[in-house]
Amino acid sequence: MTVRKRLLGWLADAALILYFLFALFPIAWMVILSLKPTNQLFSTYFSFSPTLDGYRTVLGDSEGIPFVRFFVNSLVVSVGAVVLSLLVGLPAAYASARWRFKGSENLMFTLLSFRFAPELTVIIPLFVLYQKLGLFDTYVGMVWVLQLVTLPLIVWIMRSYFADLTPELEQAALLDGYTRKQAFLRVALPLVKPGVAAVSLLAFIFAWNNFVFPLILTSNEAQTVTVGALSFLGGDRPKYNLTAAAALVSVVPPLLLALTIQRYLVRGLSFGAVKS
Amino acid sequence: MSTAVALRGIRKTYGKTTALDGLELEVAEGEFFCLLGPSGAGKTTTLKTVAGLEQPDAGTVELDGRDMRGVEPYDRGVAMCFESYALYPHKSAYDNLASPLRSPRHRLPAAQARERIGEIAELLGISALLDRPVGHLSNGQRQRVALGRVLVRPARAFLLDEPLSHLDAKLRQQMRAELKAIGAVRRTTTLYVTHDSVEALALGDRIGVIRDGRIVQTGTREEIWYRPYDTEVARAFGRPRINLLPGAVTPAGGFRSADGGVELPLPAPAAPGAQTLIGVRPRDLTLGEGPGHELTGTVYVTEVLGRSVEVTVRLGEQHVSLVAPRGAAAGLRPDDPVRLSVRPENLMLFEADRPERPGRRIGP
Repeated sequence: MTVRKRLLGWLADAALILYFLFALFPIAWMVILSLKPTNQLFSTYFSFSPTLDGYRTVLGDSEGIPFVRFFVNSLVVSVGAVVLSLLVGLPAAYASARWRFKGSENLMFTLLSFRFAPELTVIIPLFVLYQKLGLFDTYVGMVWVLQLVTLPLIVWIMRSYFADLTPELEQAALLDGYTRKQAFLRVALPLVKPGVAAVSLLAFIFAWNNFVFPLILTSNEAQTVTVGALSFLGGDRPKYNLTAAAALVSVVPPLLLALTIQRYLVRGLSFGAVKS
Repeated sequence: MSTAVALRGIRKTYGKTTALDGLELEVAEGEFFCLLGPSGAGKTTTLKTVAGLEQPDAGTVELDGRDMRGVEPYDRGVAMCFESYALYPHKSAYDNLASPLRSPRHRLPAAQARERIGEIAELLGISALLDRPVGHLSNGQRQRVALGRVLVRPARAFLLDEPLSHLDAKLRQQMRAELKAIGAVRRTTTLYVTHDSVEALALGDRIGVIRDGRIVQTGTREEIWYRPYDTEVARAFGRPRINLLPGAVTPAGGFRSADGGVELPLPAPAAPGAQTLIGVRPRDLTLGEGPGHELTGTVYVTEVLGRSVEVTVRLGEQHVSLVAPRGAAAGLRPDDPVRLSVRPENLMLFEADRPERPGRRIGP
């Protein structure tokens, strides 16, 4: 029995390690690629003279491609999109979790359906609209269009967090002499903080990784890293090492964010609050 | 005395289920009113309707004679203790108690608030727990914090939803004794919901019995005890339960039990042939000879309850319980013949129970 159990344990470990290698191989490949000098780019063996030149070029703006600016653009646009979605989405999620009114389910479904539709179906009319409205290649325009990505996510996930809270907590606050707004801000909102952290991270990653919107709706001023990293592939010779370095640099913010709010990703704050 | 809380013709449905079905209730200023009923009878919905947390489909809620339609809960000035406690889980016990005193409605300077919270915590025996997050408290402690959050503020009325139900028996008894002595409770109109008839009898200036979303009977404990509206109200109060013997009215105008084993004069006039129940409380039956009517039967079983003994006696095919002092019941064995006596004024006459409709009291 114990021998069999131990054997199974080893097998499981081996399977996990295999999967781990499989999953991480592309990243390892990227790291290797980013460290290669330009003249050894297409060598298929693993021996090469590693160099940080790729990173220097990418961060140093020497190829005529303002990657640092793209990076800042990505930060501004993604954070902006998440903040706006939280400002609009948290009250919306709360309201939809607490009150049923005529058409409320339809409204929620419509919001969700923004996520079903491929972005490409709306991108052409959006492009024309953005040109006319002067939103093309602007921060405002990007933050706005990214609401299609972040808002449904935040509203739907936060709605279920709010629905899990017993309404009696807010009712107690109302009777304690607080207004409905204060009951929302002081009682309901602090209790869903772990949810807000998790969903913000998720929304940030989706916004950060979005490719189609910045590809079509920006050209230079508001362009983001996802599109910017590809600029290194243009020209007469594609510089894969620079693209790899740019891509790896662009992984850093979501990664750091995930590490900092990791403890919020585990729920459990509200357990024991209410008699079950 | 003026009416502090009045509910008139309140109807409330949730989908297809009817929670309140034309509920009528009046609570006088300063009164301690107990609402007693089984779970699902609409007790909590009644409290939430008074608080303005639930909007009735029909009917009006009046506080101090003012129609509360459209008045927000925080403007109604009532305090409620939830059965689920509804304590703020992210705050300490102290902050929970302080919540009403920090609200824009009741705002109190911090020093005054601290003093007030100290008093209430002392009263409820939770002074040592104030710094703890409520998540670390036991159910009984949470319930006391929840009660404290209600008592700490001035209110037009207290609405208490089973506030003692999760305390252990000893603490419950102690709190029951103290609750009415608390100054705030003595001064404030209180609507108290419970499913425990002992609690209702001990605490209520008046008691309302609620069933299926309606008030079946309202009255003082004496009225409820001696003049129950129907057999279900009679059964709800008193342990051991009231004895209800089925039988019919004889042509001569007496009562004869179904098996013929018990014959008694009617305590109230009824038509000959009517199917009835004779009710008598276990403590009103006396073992041995005494004034009033006599009955004979055999001992079925005895159970010692401290200083008294519950004796179950077989009368024909019926069983009746009675409570006798230990001395009087000493030496009784099963199948011993016994005589019982009952004063005529302690007999009650009910219609026979029908499905879905407990028998009404005919008299007296």
